[in-house]
Amino acid sequence: MTLFVEDGAPVIVQGMTGHQGMTHTARMLKAGTNIVGGVNPRKAGTSVTYPNAKNGKDAVIPVYATCSEASKATGAHASVIFVPPRFAKDAVVEAIQAGISTIVVITEGIPVADSAYFVELALRKGVRIIGPNCPGLITLPSSEQSKGVNMGIIPDGIVKRGPLGLVSKSGTLTYQLMGELSDIGFTACVGVGGDPIVGTTLQESLEAFEADEATKGVVMIGEIGGSAEQDAAQWASTHMTKPVVAYIAGFTAPEGKQMGHAGAIVSGGKGTAQDKKVALEAVGIPVGKTPRQTAELMRKALQSVAA
Amino acid sequence: MDLYEYQARQLLDEQGIATPNGIFARDVDEVAQAADTIGYPCVIKAQVKIGHRGQAGGVKIAHTREEAVAAANAIFPMVIHGHKVRGVLVAEAKNVIHEYYVSISVDRTSRDFDVLATANGGTEVEEIAKAHPESVKRLHINALDTFDLDAATEMAKNIGFYHADVDQAARILLNMWQCFKANDATLVEINPLAKIGDPDDESSKSLCALDAKISLDDNAAFRHDGWKRFAGASQLDPYEQRAKELGLHYVHLQGQVGVIGNGAGLVMSSLDAVSGAGEEQGMGIKPANFLDIGGGASSEVMRNSLEIVLSDPQVKSVFVNVYGGITSCEQVAAGILGALQAIETVKPIVVRFDGNAAQEGLRMLSDANDPHLHVFDTMEEAAQQAAHIAALAQAADKETNK
Repeated sequence: MTLFVEDGAPVIVQGMTGHQGMTHTARMLKAGTNIVGGVNPRKAGTSVTYPNAKNGKDAVIPVYATCSEASKATGAHASVIFVPPRFAKDAVVEAIQAGISTIVVITEGIPVADSAYFVELALRKGVRIIGPNCPGLITLPSSEQSKGVNMGIIPDGIVKRGPLGLVSKSGTLTYQLMGELSDIGFTACVGVGGDPIVGTTLQESLEAFEADEATKGVVMIGEIGGSAEQDAAQWASTHMTKPVVAYIAGFTAPEGKQMGHAGAIVSGGKGTAQDKKVALEAVGIPVGKTPRQTAELMRKALQSVAA
Repeated sequence: MDLYEYQARQLLDEQGIATPNGIFARDVDEVAQAADTIGYPCVIKAQVKIGHRGQAGGVKIAHTREEAVAAANAIFPMVIHGHKVRGVLVAEAKNVIHEYYVSISVDRTSRDFDVLATANGGTEVEEIAKAHPESVKRLHINALDTFDLDAATEMAKNIGFYHADVDQAARILLNMWQCFKANDATLVEINPLAKIGDPDDESSKSLCALDAKISLDDNAAFRHDGWKRFAGASQLDPYEQRAKELGLHYVHLQGQVGVIGNGAGLVMSSLDAVSGAGEEQGMGIKPANFLDIGGGASSEVMRNSLEIVLSDPQVKSVFVNVYGGITSCEQVAAGILGALQAIETVKPIVVRFDGNAAQEGLRMLSDANDPHLHVFDTMEEAAQQAAHIAALAQAADKETNK
């Protein structure tokens, strides 16, 4: 078991036959993810062929009418969702009801009332949702025999297996830090998403990395808006034995302006990058000025653990 | 999207929450007319999306037509805490006996909705919370549960409403929740929710929303006809408006270095890098904008982005920072080269590519051999250079203007 999902776990894709779904299913297959089915009621019974997608061979992925059918037919308990915002709530609820236990919601632009609904439903049923509005989850294989899982849109091939964990509110900053620390490597990288309400918080990701034996240190990437960084830091200060270093984006963001992500907004003077930096440093989590400096801080922290 | 007070009142009205009679006016003549219709005394209130407008002189009482006109003449030219006055609301003046604060908002930490209220209303809630923390009452409403009359009644008592007010306050809480849900709001705030009337005449007293703040969820616009009826609420400047039409995430920031990148986090990080470099170099160089081309952007998106950024006359240099995940640096390079051909006044463009097709993209740029292009390996170096070029250009401009 690696972070949130087992090595080589079978995965279904909701919205596989759409443009985004097609592109990223091909990518996930090439990355070695065990994609076993797609869901689309209007195309049930058909299949999609991805040329050269599985170890150089064509991958033929069947399409099912519902999540429940797909899960029963394939044994999958993990799903990636690419459906458009207006259908996302129904798709997530369907997955939860079908007994899917790990759901990665890539879709950007879901109304917060819808996210609040499916996140609460998932919390009550013990289902892990990652996202929405996130790049997803990548786990690196823990042995030669096993395969990692790439659920979402994180590019394959940036990193190999190593002792680091990474959790982030932002997609490209995740890739940037993965790139900066590619020589050391990662157990898993999780993008929790930039929306106001998310299924997995920064803190819950730290909890998972703390529990994962192979992870020796964690990079946390935050940004303006809300207080998820402070909440995570508060928890880490009393529960975390492994070093955490952080990067915060948005020191120059003006008050009241949404910076791309729905949740990235300073309002009423709250949620500033400076506040977050101060709160993190107060509990001993160093905050890098740039992604590069953050990577350096992580290297140092890792050395001190090894020493 | 934040609504103006006059728009927020409309949504409260629709849910049966009492507000004083009021008319929105766009100029002094309209104010005079509105004041005559409402009657005297009336309140003339600046419409700005910022707190503390009262202290700033944005709210005035008028007892006569002349006073209403004088108030309008004073308020219309105002800029309150950096916000231009958009119009005024002319509203009935009420005799206030007591002021409460009530709001419903999205609670990001507990991942539900938060009813926040106190019997010490009137000022900003942060100040109330500091001065009277014990008076602030909270109730979480879960997305899967209902908020019913019993719960609302208990909350009303808890806040400190008494006697006949309890029922009325409970109804208002329920109607606020209805307003919050029906409109996909992220905030519905009534402050003050006032007890009004003649202190000596019990039958004249009632609860009334004297001011309101409502924010709507932009992501839910598809359920509400794109919020067409509140089209006037957006405060986009011409650059932001044009970017929105092209489907780009752009925020205008008034500095000298245009910033374009892929992914909100990386673009924010790029802004910070430019600001940092600007500070180190002196000269007050700052980022001119935030522009996220998103994931998997085409060359056309990149070309449009450069056109918008370069149409801002304040921009002296542009920093393009792309870490290709889904986005191909080749596409971005093609967009840059397309823009260089199409745009007349090009400024120096500093480029940093990494990730997907970075080598191919960089080769395309170097083959083009265009003097406007400067390529760097890291975002730190590129940000430094973009700020440096902007500083030199600004100094040269000052020299010519002497």
